[in-house]
Amino acid sequence: MKKNLAAVLALAVGVGIIGAGAGLAAGTADDMINARQAEMKVNMKAMKALVSMLKGETPYDTAAVQAAAKSISDAQAEGVAKDVWNTSSQTGATVKSGAKPEIWTDAAGFTEAWKNLDTAVAALSASTDEASFKAAFPALGAACKGCHEKFRAAE
Amino acid sequence: MPRRSRILTSIAVLAVAGLAVAWGMSAPHPLTAAEIPAHQPDIANGKVLFNAAGCLSCHKPGPDLKNVDASLPAGGSPFKTPIGTFYPPNLTPDPETGIGKWTDLEFVNAVQRGISPEGENLIPAFPYTSYARMKTSDVLDIKAYLASLSPVVSPEKQAQIPAPWLLRRGVGLWKHIAFRTDQWQPDPGKPAEWNLGAYIANGPGHCNECHTPRNMFMAFDWSKQFAGGPHPGGEGKVPSLHDLIGRGKYKDASDLASAFQNGEMLGYEDMASGGMGEVQTNLSKLPDSDVQALADYISSLK
Repeated sequence: MKKNLAAVLALAVGVGIIGAGAGLAAGTADDMINARQAEMKVNMKAMKALVSMLKGETPYDTAAVQAAAKSISDAQAEGVAKDVWNTSSQTGATVKSGAKPEIWTDAAGFTEAWKNLDTAVAALSASTDEASFKAAFPALGAACKGCHEKFRAAE
Repeated sequence: MPRRSRILTSIAVLAVAGLAVAWGMSAPHPLTAAEIPAHQPDIANGKVLFNAAGCLSCHKPGPDLKNVDASLPAGGSPFKTPIGTFYPPNLTPDPETGIGKWTDLEFVNAVQRGISPEGENLIPAFPYTSYARMKTSDVLDIKAYLASLSPVVSPEKQAQIPAPWLLRRGVGLWKHIAFRTDQWQPDPGKPAEWNLGAYIANGPGHCNECHTPRNMFMAFDWSKQFAGGPHPGGEGKVPSLHDLIGRGKYKDASDLASAFQNGEMLGYEDMASGGMGEVQTNLSKLPDSDVQALADYISSLK
């Protein structure tokens, strides 16, 4: 009887450990990475719309610029709310990530890179005509490039 | 017993002979003055080649040179590789800490043969394996451009690598199997622009250094030229350059040229990571015709 109880207990503890492990894997690194990549896709879509206007492939439209800028800042706000760059996302992921360890070893630099994006997006939102849009745009491209050069790995 | 000592003697003799051969084979083989062509240097061309060769990416001023113009190749910025950290040296004409006292022969031997003025083999993190394929006149133009820059005092910092002496001798052996010193030859069946692009890519641009995989001897695997492979700095993978248009990466050669000129500044998302951001910054400084030629060549790779 005592033996049976011990076996049941051991089984319960075992199941508990496996369950906790599965819970961690499902709830953390992969979710954060997927959310980050979704955010970058939003940014890319906004960038494509803006570049198209910049090159004159689509006509300049103040509302479209504002919408693109808003989509970038909304996606970023969502990322911040979900804490998608939490240091715990470095381990246990099954999804491929291009995030470099410098994101966490140079946290100040990474924060600075995001601030550059904030500033660029704010300037873009404040643009009211084609000339001010064209003047504000390069800072956005520079923010993307500046961060990706330091903090994103090749392919 | 005598038999055993004979065997030992033979082994010892063979070992000494092996070491002698290794010593001989690992010795640097510099060019001689007679092999350097007479050349009237062209500083403007040197500046173009300086950008095409991406010199500044590695030789940029280090973090302790904050007040130095960032466009000057004053050196000292850490360059991390799997074998250790290098501090690419000062290329400004400062006579003591830069290359102000270097002769043309010393410069060409460093850039095209990977041999320092002190006669040591340089570690091929410095891509002389590609620069060897340049026209020597272009290399001399780069030297003339460097000589025209403001001198910066920036003493050389020792590389943090294991057993530097042995490593440099080892590079001497490696050169026998992995170092091609024949200069790039144009393909007479192709247009001049394509050939210019091929020269930029394979010579100064040193695209092969990252985009061509290496075999077990760390030599380029030419059968897989530009097929991509592991990132030399350990940052993920370097993409293949094959069929960039067919694979939908770029619309056409002009689109690729625009990507080289603008990079992520115009949303070309593959032009920033793994060191490509600095490459793109350098390419953006080239004349439009050179960039278009490079794009013509790269987009023709199948």
